[in-house]
Amino acid sequence: MKDFLRQNGILLLVIAFLLSVLIGVLSFVMGGKADPLSNLVNTVTAPVRSGIAAAADWVEGVYGYVFHYGEMEQELKDLRTRVGELEEEVRQGEEASRENEQLRELLKFQTRRRELTTEPVKVTARSTSNWESKLTLSKGSDHGIEAGDCVITETGVLVGIVDKVGLNWSTVSTIINTDTEIGGIVTRTYSAGVLEGDFSLMNQGKLKLNYLPEGAQLVSGDEVLTSGRGDMFPSGLPVGHVEGVFTDPSGQTRYAVVIPSVKLDSLIEVFVIKDFEITE
Amino acid sequence: MPRRDFIHKWTVYALGLLPVWLLDAYILPRVPLWGTVVPMLLPLAAAAVAVLEGAYAGTGFGMAVGLLWELAYPGGFGGQVFYLALAGMAMGAVSQYALSQSFLGCLICSVGVLGLLDCLRVARMLFINAAGLSDLLQVAVPEFLWSLAWTPLVWLLFRAIYNRVGGTKLA
Repeated sequence: MKDFLRQNGILLLVIAFLLSVLIGVLSFVMGGKADPLSNLVNTVTAPVRSGIAAAADWVEGVYGYVFHYGEMEQELKDLRTRVGELEEEVRQGEEASRENEQLRELLKFQTRRRELTTEPVKVTARSTSNWESKLTLSKGSDHGIEAGDCVITETGVLVGIVDKVGLNWSTVSTIINTDTEIGGIVTRTYSAGVLEGDFSLMNQGKLKLNYLPEGAQLVSGDEVLTSGRGDMFPSGLPVGHVEGVFTDPSGQTRYAVVIPSVKLDSLIEVFVIKDFEITE
Repeated sequence: MPRRDFIHKWTVYALGLLPVWLLDAYILPRVPLWGTVVPMLLPLAAAAVAVLEGAYAGTGFGMAVGLLWELAYPGGFGGQVFYLALAGMAMGAVSQYALSQSFLGCLICSVGVLGLLDCLRVARMLFINAAGLSDLLQVAVPEFLWSLAWTPLVWLLFRAIYNRVGGTKLA
């Protein structure tokens, strides 16, 4: 046995074991920052990743144009109708905002303010594993991105949270990933809960709104936003819509299944919120 | 084997690993089967080279593939380096002493390395109470089968490399 192992790479196996321990220790110690080895590898491979992502996005665009032209035309028509409806809503909203401001002044309330400092980034790789939902982005610490930053779409919909940052890359744990834990609130009822990733729901592209208050009367279609509790994440970021309300197997607590508003498999560009200031 | 030939041989194997890695990391995740299942091609590469080159080379190549998996993919914690080096040694030894250097040998080794990997993942998820067994098997089984379906392609690629520079051909 001893000779067999000596002839068949026991030394290499020992080196592999030491490397495993080293990588494990480094990733544990570094926390949200990428360990030096993966930082080096991912920094060097970043141009390859960006190139492939650009080519794949182009191919997907051409494929969509050629094979889904009818669908795209219909979508455009629907969007034009929706824009018209939204313009009308904005006009009404502006009027309400003016009235709101006047009332705030009258009651000497502080003006509501929401300032987000964002960084536009490209999505260069999608989840490579069936066991987690992550995205790789094209910018990292050289652009001021930090672990824990929120990532949103161009319309402000929450995509996920930055979980590891390298020099010119970062990875995002999406909202459906099992490690997600963000305060959420249902806009219609103001019922607050905790948005959590769940393994079985992750593969269906959904997540949970857990720890709902006892009397919460949620219905399918209710909008869910981030609550901003704990000041870790900005409040008011759209997350998704309630699909249904269920009671957990113990029968003690109720939870809602939430369908995210973001389409994680078709993201090309997203925005990282580097800093935010919200005055309620 | 002279040092120059040794470097030449393993450079060609590394170049063979390149398309497998690009396919695995950047292309296939964009087109998941049934919308969710992404295959694992890197263990197949380790299996193919271990079957063709034997236990010693299998350990070294497994370690290199494990390093690539840990460092270039998100969410690594180190275990893949040791696992693939150990699997490379075991697969190389099994193909040397019990199986043959054939596609069937590679397929059997691939079943072993992928199966054990998924079993370890399921066990870990059960241990941390992340989900029930049926939910975990719904992910593990399609992943295992879809990954296995890529064995012929990976085998053909590394078999072609082996035919050119493998074994002691450069010696």
